Order: sequence, then structure tokens, then C-alpha cells
Amino acid sequence: MSETRRKKPRGKARLIEGKCIACGDRCQASCPFDAVEMSDGEPVFILTKCNGCGKCVKICPSEAIELIYTPDEQKILDEYSRKNEPAEIESKADSAWKHVWVFVEQTEGEAHPVSWELLGVGRQLADDLGVELAAFILGDDVGHLAHEAFGYGADRVYLIDDPILSRYRTRAYLEAGLLLIRKYKPEIVLMGATGLGRDLAGALATELRTGLTADCTGLSISLADRLLEQTRPAFGGNIMATILSETARPQMASVRPHVMPKPAFNGERRGPVIQETLSISEDDIPTRIVEIIREKSDSTVNLAGAHVIVSGGRGMKGPEHFWMIRELAELLGGVVGCSRSVVDAGWLPYAHQVGQTGKTVKPKLYIACGISGAIQHLVGMQNSDYIIAINKDKNAPIFDVAHLGIVGDVFDVLPAIIEKTRASLNAPAELEQTAVGMEP
Amino acid sequence: MHIVVCVKMVPDTTLVQIDPKTNTLVREGVPFITNPFDTHAVEEALRLKDRYGGKVTALSMGPPAAEMVLRRALALGADEAVLLSDRAFGGADTLATSKVLSEAIRRIHENEPVDLVFCGLQTIDGDTAQVGPGVACRLGFTQLTLVDHIYEVNQRESYIEVRRKLEGAFERVQARMPALITTTREINTPRYPTVPGRLQAASRALPVWSNDVMKLERAEIGLQGSPTNVRRIFAPQREKGEIINGLNGAHLTAADCMLNKLYEWDILNAD
Amino acid sequence: MPWSRIIFTVLFIASIGLFLFNVYRLIAMLCLGRWENRFDHLLARLKGVLLFVFGQKRVVRRAFGVNHFFIFWGFMILLGMNSEFLIQGVFPEFSLRFLGRVPYGALLFATDIMSVVVLAAVALAVMRRIAFRPKYIEASRDAFLILGLIAMLMVAYFGVHAAEIALGETDMGGWMPVSGALAGAFATSTPEKIHRSLNASWWVHALALLAFLNYLPYSKHLHVLTAIPNVFFRRIDPVSVPPRLKFELGQDFGVSKVTQFTWKQLLDFMACTECGRCEDSCPAHGTGKDLSPKEMVHRGKLNLFINGGSLLNSRPIDTLAGAPREASMVKPLIDGTAESIPEKDVWSCATCGVCMEECPVFIEHAPKTLEMRRHLVMEKAEFPEELLSLFNNMEQRFNPWGIAPTDRAKWAQDLDIHIVKEDAPADYLFFVGCSGAYDSRARGIALAMAKILDRAGLSWGILGTEEKCCGDSLRRLGNEYVFDQIAQANVAQFKKLGITKVVTHCPHCYTTLKNDYRAYGAEFEVIHHSELIERLIAEGKLPVHARANGRVVYHDSCYLGRHNGLYDAPRHCVEAVSGQAPAEMERSHGRAFCCGAGGGRMWLEETEGKRINIDRTEQALKQNPAAIASACPFCMTMLEDGLKDLGKDGDVKVKDIAELVADAIE
Repeated sequence: MSETRRKKPRGKARLIEGKCIACGDRCQASCPFDAVEMSDGEPVFILTKCNGCGKCVKICPSEAIELIYTPDEQKILDEYSRKNEPAEIESKADSAWKHVWVFVEQTEGEAHPVSWELLGVGRQLADDLGVELAAFILGDDVGHLAHEAFGYGADRVYLIDDPILSRYRTRAYLEAGLLLIRKYKPEIVLMGATGLGRDLAGALATELRTGLTADCTGLSISLADRLLEQTRPAFGGNIMATILSETARPQMASVRPHVMPKPAFNGERRGPVIQETLSISEDDIPTRIVEIIREKSDSTVNLAGAHVIVSGGRGMKGPEHFWMIRELAELLGGVVGCSRSVVDAGWLPYAHQVGQTGKTVKPKLYIACGISGAIQHLVGMQNSDYIIAINKDKNAPIFDVAHLGIVGDVFDVLPAIIEKTRASLNAPAELEQTAVGMEP
Repeated sequence: MHIVVCVKMVPDTTLVQIDPKTNTLVREGVPFITNPFDTHAVEEALRLKDRYGGKVTALSMGPPAAEMVLRRALALGADEAVLLSDRAFGGADTLATSKVLSEAIRRIHENEPVDLVFCGLQTIDGDTAQVGPGVACRLGFTQLTLVDHIYEVNQRESYIEVRRKLEGAFERVQARMPALITTTREINTPRYPTVPGRLQAASRALPVWSNDVMKLERAEIGLQGSPTNVRRIFAPQREKGEIINGLNGAHLTAADCMLNKLYEWDILNAD
Repeated sequence: MPWSRIIFTVLFIASIGLFLFNVYRLIAMLCLGRWENRFDHLLARLKGVLLFVFGQKRVVRRAFGVNHFFIFWGFMILLGMNSEFLIQGVFPEFSLRFLGRVPYGALLFATDIMSVVVLAAVALAVMRRIAFRPKYIEASRDAFLILGLIAMLMVAYFGVHAAEIALGETDMGGWMPVSGALAGAFATSTPEKIHRSLNASWWVHALALLAFLNYLPYSKHLHVLTAIPNVFFRRIDPVSVPPRLKFELGQDFGVSKVTQFTWKQLLDFMACTECGRCEDSCPAHGTGKDLSPKEMVHRGKLNLFINGGSLLNSRPIDTLAGAPREASMVKPLIDGTAESIPEKDVWSCATCGVCMEECPVFIEHAPKTLEMRRHLVMEKAEFPEELLSLFNNMEQRFNPWGIAPTDRAKWAQDLDIHIVKEDAPADYLFFVGCSGAYDSRARGIALAMAKILDRAGLSWGILGTEEKCCGDSLRRLGNEYVFDQIAQANVAQFKKLGITKVVTHCPHCYTTLKNDYRAYGAEFEVIHHSELIERLIAEGKLPVHARANGRVVYHDSCYLGRHNGLYDAPRHCVEAVSGQAPAEMERSHGRAFCCGAGGGRMWLEETEGKRINIDRTEQALKQNPAAIASACPFCMTMLEDGLKDLGKDGDVKVKDIAELVADAIE
């Protein structure tokens, strides 16, 4: 192709209106010619400096930058494109790194379910790459977890069993993880995006000087270049981004619990267990756990940190009916909230109040029962991941923010949902309480 | 006691909306703010200063405009502030960010030893919770994430005792200093700046460290130093709100529907 | 010269000297405060003195004020004779006789009669304090002492004159019917006895007079001296607008020391008569809160006297100057001591302004509360925790709830509403306000307004997502810094868009845009929707049909009524659509009871005492209305909450006047 080398026109960069997400300053950072200035988060291209290299176009995650050409330039370009040069793909990464690993997170010998969920998606990735799926287990007296790991799909297990790992501590687990990863060089490492997993993953990735993508909701292999495509919500969940770690290895990702389905367990599966020993002493570890404090102190209402909040409003008609709210909250592992008017009426103490002058909450699920949704309440809970509203008035403003709105009488719907939830949890229902579901 | 607190300027992502027609991000009118998690980190640093005396230095990496988050920290009571700003730092992922921040803290540390570094647990635009551990690792400071209470700082014996939030429990930990702490939002309620504080903060000259000052390898910072890269972005599938009838005997059907949602949203588990 | 004269002369000079020194101390104390110009509008000020001091206009609003009217005028008349009396004590030959026999006689006659009247009034006042004392009046020793002194003066007066008449020492006996009648009591006495009695009476009178003169500055009867200047220097502007602050380093923001008040605010403290009318009408006090405007002013006075006294003692007596900025105080102003104002009370005030409306001597309570809030918020960052999110939301998102600014025009998205731009002006800018834009209930008002403006065929528009909160709550809560930023931005935007007429449905937006923004260079006309609707109906531009839908009671918004004098326009709107004047609550117009949301109280929890909105709702329900009409979105929220709390939300509706009118447009 060298004989037809008419100079390929380079054009100028231009922002496509409305597409910039103000990701930061990737375009500016990518520009070798200092041709990008930032204004209120968006790039402004200095055309006299722009050389049309297209680096910013490539780097822009939102495809918000294009190159513009004069009509003459466009003609030459069209010619080029007719020649249709095939893109060559080669992996720039070190091929010594191989296999997919999943971290088995455990506390006191009990594995966190997210570990098995990760084995499920890890299986898929390993199969797509044609490599092995391995689980790595760190802890004290945790050999029995290897059996479970095989059952959930691991081909191989790496294990460090050491009393120093009895409780999670960053430094000890970091050393153990580094030992295994550096020695056996996996190309992909998956971890649960739990408090523990995020603590460890961040440290591991930094020590390994590699990329880490947190809270992935989708993982797949781009077969063309054997790269792990890691999809995660970004920008406060307003957009989804697919992220690659092109050269650094291993490619690390964390995934939140319950995002991936748990694979079926096959107790027959077996595989090799490779055990390593850790050579660090207690003196090397800068932390000492003084005490584990179990949650569930009834005196405090932890609305801010709650996973599920069941709230009642004036529509509950009186404090004597709040047992339904409490019951549902208990079944769902949540806490009791309420609207301001409930506190004003003296039905519940102020600590339960959600709203402008109460607590601002952001649980995974918020259930509003008999709450019409005055603005003062809405601003305190509308950022919840999911909202269910039960209210008699179909015009109640609460339905504007609800993901599921039930136009109905709380005194009908709540007993029904309590009964059904309890039945599905298979909790032994007490006799007197089952009768409640039948009340009109 | 010398405390460094890292703050980041972020777009207020809770105000970002998706245009339902074009499915694009509506950023108009979205202000830049101090990352909300970092406001708790600043507050905790200031509370320790109030309790034990000492000095708080605020640190931020970002564009020149990011000085606003440092001025906010100064207005609240921080003693010093340093802005790390250079095009060479731009386009950084968490690994490259932790490099610049940790090197800056190292410089501060050499000048005036640092006992504690505070970071917010995560940022609201990135949500990764990785920069804190990254900085701790690079500095070799004790890493304490998810801290929601500080019991005490023992400066003589150089340890700190904190409570970390675990799943379903808390952990009381004693840790050697220097340490890096990432704070949850429950740890405190941030104070409000006084007007004299704001005016003082606004009138101060802020040191800006560019890479001419920091002299870091290009390959380790900014876009080049970032192993991760965004291949593409797209709008998420949004679930439209659904209103169902539960009146006139339909409450049982409505309850079924709700139960299904509880499973769909993983509030209840099928297993 | 007889000994008695020498003794009296010495006493007289000493008393007058002491009195003048006390007055000088008071003036020196006023000078400790900051400068404020209250020397403008001299004619209006004089007119006020005639009306409110000599006419006792505000005093006689309450039945018992008439009693004071007589005591006051008694004093004015007695002043002449008492001056003569005192001078005669030194120069026995002196007499006012030179006025001419008839005028002098008239003066004697009036004094004689007024003395009886005063005596009766004093007796009544004593009775009131003993037998039928209202809650807001204290039966203090101070009060009885002064009343006793006055009574003593009157009795001694009659003693002197009756004796003189009996001795035939005066030829003016005919002008003094009461004294003359009392002289009859001496009929059987020897002249010697009468003389002794005259002497005794004379001394009692003389000593009581001098004692009174010097007791004044130490008692609540200081108002005898200070009320007149306080009325003279009163706020002339009908609405109380806080001064704009300069945000520069080295300034004080708000008041934490009594000397940071202006001299006029200090004069307020001295002018308080402790009549208790403010406390009696205060909605916070009336619902069981500790805050009492009277108590606040009283404590301010005590604080001033302690701190001011100490400051004056520490410097040369001839210095008349403001307190140094760094002057330390013996007693803090905002604190829990008996001479300080509790911090809690600073936040209890709804700035409804009824205290100022009630005060017979024009004390301005709310601006002092505001200055203390300013200090707490801006210098200390100490405020009820509920306000933290409010302040941050206002600063970052320009609305109190922190909702996305991009959602501000959502209420209008399905309507074809014009957005005012530089190149797309409109005659009227409808300033929707945060409530109208975001609150699902108040959106009804915005929608009603859209219908009304359209039906009247006006050229109008909104700012859409470019609108920002007016900042009212920020300012009333003392967060002047953020208010200042918002006010500057809003005025600049209005100017850029060339806006000349603004319509608001919220009295808080109304007063802020109209009054508070003046210091920011606002020159546009601000119209409350009640004014506009009233006019449109009167001009026949709105085809409304009056329907009798039951009794409507109207609730006055404080910032519309008391602060801005708009009482009739909203009532006319109600009348136009219901066919009859609205029912009135016991407390309406200038004495209307607040809903509890003003002064930023909208954003504060109300845990002390009974909730104000419940009280007001109950007052409304006493009128058995089918609907409560309001002209303020905050009032609407408070009254609706009140109805819900009382379980009456099914029976009674709260409707904004715009909604009532929009419903009546066919």
C-alpha cells in the first residue's frame, strides 16, 4: 500500500453537542498538542493546535468527539476507506498470565455467597477463553471450602491456610494474595464487591500495578482480543461504562453480591488443591482486632445505613397499626421509618423520621405505606434504589417516584404481603399472627 | 498530630438525568461539589484536630477549578491546602490517581511527618472505593477502610483505635500509625463553614503542584499510567414505574406482584 | 432663709444633678451601640409622636389603655404645676400666675381634676394587678412602688392645696373644686394644725417627686423618658428590611454582644414598658414556648445595663463613643443566664411581626432576633441541625429541598408556557417560587395562576429552569452570606432579562423580591397574585362566576398582611368567587395569628409546646368553614398539616385564592 501514499488528511476535532458526559479530562490528557482546554467540564478544541491525530476521539468514552474534514479531505478519505484496510488485532499483554481466578471470601470458615456467584460467571469466562477456572481461598482452617469451590465449578483451588489469616486483616490477606497471584499469574481475578472484597482488591491491584474495575454488573470476554469487558454503572448510575484493562495483568474486577446468578452445586466435582505457605509473622501486621461488635441494638434506629426501610404514614391511622410495618421490616431484614406527620402525632419517635427535617435515606428498597408523599418526605427517600408505595389515593405524589405503586388499602395489602413473604421465607408462622392475614 | 485529608471535586451526579427522548445525559445545571463522602473525611480530620490538636492539610487532584473544594476545607478549619493540577495528571484511573496523591503525601510527609490520612470511602462519580487503599498501599500506611467511628488516637504509642463497619457487624481495630482511613457517611455530620472562615479561605493563595514540582514519570501518571480504559458507554435500561390496582379485592394479586418484585430486586433470595 | 428651704434646695440640686447624670449615663450607653441613621423623615417622625405619644393611638387599642391615657395626660398637666412646685421650693415667690389669672386658674383647675382622675386610674391599675391580672402583666414590686409613689403625689397634692385653701393663703381656691371640698375637712382644725399638715404634705409631695424623678431610670418607668424618643426614632418604612451586609474580613456578622446593636435598638430596650402586649399576641409564646418578646427585650435591657455600665465605668466619664470591637462583656448576650437571651429562643421566632405591630412604643423585636441568628449562623455555624441540609441545598441547588434545578420547570412541561429570555420578553414574569415549582400540592397554585394569566390574556412567562429560590428563608434564618449570593444572582438575571413586572403567589418571594432586593438594585415592580387577580376581576378581564360553595374563612399570611399591608386584595378575590366576604377568625388582619412557618420556621422541627399550625387551624375551624382560603404556599402546607392532624382534612379544604378563582372561571 505504500505506493499510493497520498498524505492521509487529518481533520480537526470537534465536540458533538449533548454527548459529552464530563468524564473528567481524558481528551485533554490524551492530546499530545495541548489543543484541548476544559470549560465547565467539556472540552474546547483549539483548532490552530489540533493536528487531527484522533487520540481524543479514541479515548472519549461517550463517542462525543469526531473529526471534521473539508470536502476535499473527505474525498481522499473515502478513497482510503474503499481500500478497506483490515484491522489487525494482537494482544499486547504478557501471555504468561493465564486462567481465571475467583477469590473465595469467607468469615469464620463460612463462604460469602458472592464467591459462588463469581464462580458461575468465572466459568463462562474461562470457557470462552479456553482456560481453567480456579478458586483461591485464604483463611485459617478453611480447607473444607475447596470442596464447595469445586462443586460450584472451580477446576483448581489455591489455598493458603494459616492461623494468621483467621480474621480478615488487610496486610495479611494482601501478602497471601500477592504470593499466589505473583506465583501463578492468573489473567483474570474476580472478587466480591463486599466491604472486605473492596478493601483487599484495592490493595492487591495497587501492589500489582494493575487495573481494577469495581462493582461490575456485567463481565464478558471480547473474543477478538481476549480482553475482559467489564461493565459497570458510572456517574452515579446514570450511565453504564464498559472498561478494559488492555495490557496490565491480571485484569481485576469486583462484582456486587446478588448481581450474578449462583450456579448449581455439583458435589461430585473434584480437582487439585495447591497449597502455599505464608511466611509473615504477627509483628508484620499493623492491625489488631480488639473486638467484633454484633449489630442489632434495638435502641438505635439505623435508618441511614439500612438496606430495607418500611415506612408508615398517616394512612396507618394510628400507632396500634404499626405492628404491620414492624413485621414486614423484620421479615425483610429492614428497619422502620415514618413520615413527619407520624412523629408529629406522637406515634413514633423522631429517630424514625424520614425527610427534609428527618433523615435522608438511600436504602436498596423503600416501602412507603399510607404515605401520600409530601415534598418534605419525598426529598428524604427518592434516591432509594427501589421504591414500593401502597396508598389508597391513586393521585398521591408518592406514586411519581415509586417503581411499584399499589393503589390499595394498606390494611388489605400489608397483611397479604406479610403472609406471603413469611410463607415464602418458610418461617414458622405463629398461630395468632396467621389469623391476621385473614382479617378483612 | 498532622492529618492529611484527600478531597475530590465531582459533578453532583445525583442531579444528572437522562433525557428520555435522546437517551443522553443531561448535565446542564449540574454543579461541581466536594465529593459528599470526602466531606465526612474532612469533618473527622477536623474533629481529631479539635480533640488532640495539630494540623490538617487538605489535598486534591484535579483541574484548576478544583481549588473550590480545597477552599471549602480551609473554610471549615483545615490549616493548609495543596492542589495537584497538571494536564499530565489528567485522564487518570484509580491506580494513576493513587500514584499522584501518594507522592504528594510523601512530599508533605518529608516536610512535616503525617500521622493520618483521611479519604472518603468512595466518590459519587466513580464509586470505586479504590483510591484510599491505593494510596495506603503505595505509602505503606496502615489501611483502615469503612471506618465509622474513632475511639482514640494514642500519639505517644502511635496507634489509633477505630470501628470498621462490616456486613452485619462492626470490628474494633487497633492500628499502627501512620494510617490511612476511609470514612463512611455515618461517621459524623459535617459542620457548616463560618463566614469569617469562608472569607479567610477565599483570600488565601493556594499552592498548586504541577508535575514540574512533582517530577513523576509520565508512564505512571495520567492517562498513560492508567491500566484501565473505557471502551464505550451506554445508557442503562431504566425500569419504568408501574402502578397496579390493589383495591376491591385485588390486594392478593397486588401482594403477589410485590412479592415477585422483591425477588426480582434481590431483596428476597430464591435459594 | 429657713432651714427647710436650705434643706430642700440642697436636696433639689442633688436630685436634679443625679437625674441629669443618670440621663447622661443612658445617652452614653446608647452611644455604645452602632450608628444607624434615624434622623430622616423628620416630619413623619413628629407626626408619629403626636399620634402615638400624645394621641396614645396604639395604647388605647386595648380597653385598658384608656387608663394609661388618663395617667399620661394627668402627668402632662401635672407637669406644669409640679415644676412650679419645685421652683417654689427654692424661690417661694415664684408663681405661674404671670400667665394671667384665667389661664393660671384653668391650669389649677385641670390639675385639680386630673389628680382625681389619676388617683382613680392608679387605683384601677393596682386593682388590675391584684384582682384581675392578665397573664402577660407582672405584679412586680416595681409596679406597686411606682403606683404608690404616684398615688402619694396626688394625695400630698391635695393635702397641700386643701390646707392652703383652708388657711386662706390662696385666692385661687375657686379654681380648685376638689381641693376646695377637701379643705372642708380642716374646718374644725386649728390653723397651727393645718399648718403642720400643710408642711407635712408639702414635704411628702416634694420628696415623692424627687424620689420619682430618680427612681425612673432604674425601673420600667424609664419609658416615661424613653418612649417619646423611641416613637420619634421608630422605623418609618412600613416593612422591616434587614440591612445588607458587606462581606469583608474583619467585619462582625450579626450580634453576639449587646453593644453590637445599633443605638436605636438599645433605645428599644430602654423604652419597654413591660406592658406585655407583645407576649400576649406572640404565637410562639401563646403555644407554650419559652420565647417571649417582652422577656427578650427585658433581658436585653438588663444585659445592656450590666455590660454597658461596666464599659462606662472603665473609661473617662466624658467619653461618648461606641464600644470598641474587641470589648469584652461581663455577661454574654446569647446564653442561659438571667441577663442573657437563651439560644433556643432565638430560633423559636417565626418573625410574624405581631409583637412589633402590638408594641405601643414601636419596639422592633424581630430585627434583634435576626441579628442574633446572623451571629449564630455566620460566626459560629451553630444552628438546629435540620437547617444543615436546607443551607447546603440552597447554596448548591437553589431550592430548599435540594431537588434538581433541572426539575424546576417540570410542573409546566405539559403546558405551553413561555420561557422569558433576553430575546423573548414578556410583560409579566411569573416568579413561580420553589413551592409552586416543586411541591406537588403548591403546583396546583402555579397551574391555577397559569390558567388565570392565560384567561386574562396577559403577556407572561416564567424563567423555567433558570429560576432560583428568592432566598427568603436564608435571610430570615440569618444565613445572610448565601442569601447575598442568591440575591445578587437573581437581581443580575432580572436586569439582564429586562424584567419590569414580577408576579408571585408566595408572600415570601413577594416581600423578598420587593423589599429585600432593593438594596441590591432591584427596580422592577413586584405584584402579589392577590393584587393582580383583584385588579383583573375588577377590570372585568376574568370571567368569574360567584358560586356559594359554603363558608370560606380567610387566613392572613404574615408577610402579606402585617409586613406588606395587603389585607383587602385577597379578601376581595374570595368575595368575588364565593359571593360573600370571607368569614374572619378572631385574630385577623394586623393581629392575625401566624401559621408557624415564617422566619424559616418552615424548615425547623417544632417540639416545644403546642404546634402553632394546630392552634391556628383550630382557630379557623371555630368558624365552621367549608374551606380555608390562604394566599401563601407555606400557610397552605401548615394549615393542611393542621387539618390532617386534627382529622379534619376530609371535611375542610385549604385553597389558595388563585385556585378558588381559577375554579370559578368558566
